[in-house]
Amino acid sequence: MKRTLKKIILPILLIAFVGIQFIPTNRNQSDEILPSDITKVFEVPDNILQLLQNSCYDCHSNNTNYPWYNKIQPISWMLENHIQEGKEEVNFSRFGDYSTRKKKSKFKSIISQLKDGEMPLWSYTLIHRSAKLSEEERKMLVDWMQAQREAL
Amino acid sequence: MRNLKMNLLLIVLVAFTLSLTSCGSGSDNKATDKMENHEDDNMANMYACPMHPEITGKKGDKCSKCGMELQMKEGDGHGDHDHGDHEHGSSEMSETRTIEATTKKNSATSGIIDAYLQIKNGLASDDKVAAAQGGKALLGAFSKFDMSKLSGAQHKEYMDIMENAKEQAEHIVKSPIDHQREHFEVLSNDINDLITLLGTDKTLYRDFCPMINDGKGGIWLSETKEIKNPFMGSKMPTCGKIVKQIN
Repeated sequence: MKRTLKKIILPILLIAFVGIQFIPTNRNQSDEILPSDITKVFEVPDNILQLLQNSCYDCHSNNTNYPWYNKIQPISWMLENHIQEGKEEVNFSRFGDYSTRKKKSKFKSIISQLKDGEMPLWSYTLIHRSAKLSEEERKMLVDWMQAQREAL
Repeated sequence: MRNLKMNLLLIVLVAFTLSLTSCGSGSDNKATDKMENHEDDNMANMYACPMHPEITGKKGDKCSKCGMELQMKEGDGHGDHDHGDHEHGSSEMSETRTIEATTKKNSATSGIIDAYLQIKNGLASDDKVAAAQGGKALLGAFSKFDMSKLSGAQHKEYMDIMENAKEQAEHIVKSPIDHQREHFEVLSNDINDLITLLGTDKTLYRDFCPMINDGKGGIWLSETKEIKNPFMGSKMPTCGKIVKQIN
């Protein structure tokens, strides 16, 4: 029994693993900065933009920064689904397309999730250590978003 | 040796897979203490309880009767302090003012309002499941709503409100109760604006809760005169007051 596992199942899994690497995936990557980009509709200071890019943009913009291990299937597939979901919730590349009402409620949700430490997701920061926000950075983002929301 | 390597590779893969699929369940240990602004604000008695005006103190103090945070007294507020101003208090409500305030008799909105009230009553009795059912009913009511009778200007505003309200409803369907309440806060403004836009033939009360929205306060709508706070539930069921009667 143990022999079959090693002799048959493992090689099959290995071949499948290699095989799926050749199936193309649509990567969430784009150099284009849309007119609806958050930087085009709000005054985003450099330090805030940096935080957004570092901690949010991988799942909430049209441009994900892919490290090598995210290009491996099946991780890559799961990641694509994840990004799709994230962009449906909020997409900073399309933020300008939202109605004022929607912008306000998005800011509200983001602020609340930042305050509660729900975002960035722990499973994401587990791998992307640099995406982790310090308390100070969290507060900077919250304050900035609060100010934008109140000005709307 | 080769087998060992392959096993190791598989273990690493499985571990990676697990770490990625377990996303999404962020912890919900919501800190009730909101970040407080420790500005130096030593003016004693400038702040009063919104429910018990006789209780006064300084910024950050809590009411000795109900535990609510004291707010700047009406008339004392200057500049960016807009606490206690019910109609224009929160930033969300500025939208309310831009719409002409006419409460037309319109039964077309009843389905939406009924579903909203179902969520409200669920939350008021701390019933997450009932609130989620209300959320589902609200999604259904929006899809049944007949948009063909809306004028051009109404249509655009309606679409904005509907899109936002549906998103809140979707979250109410699938979230734990504290999140449901946050979405209900936004939803209440949407439904309020919908009524301002299209009208209703129901008798409703616009109630004000001073504690939500980081202490800036916010509204909800109720079909009963009696206050049953959907944001506080059994913690503070009678907190809040009627600011306007509709019809």
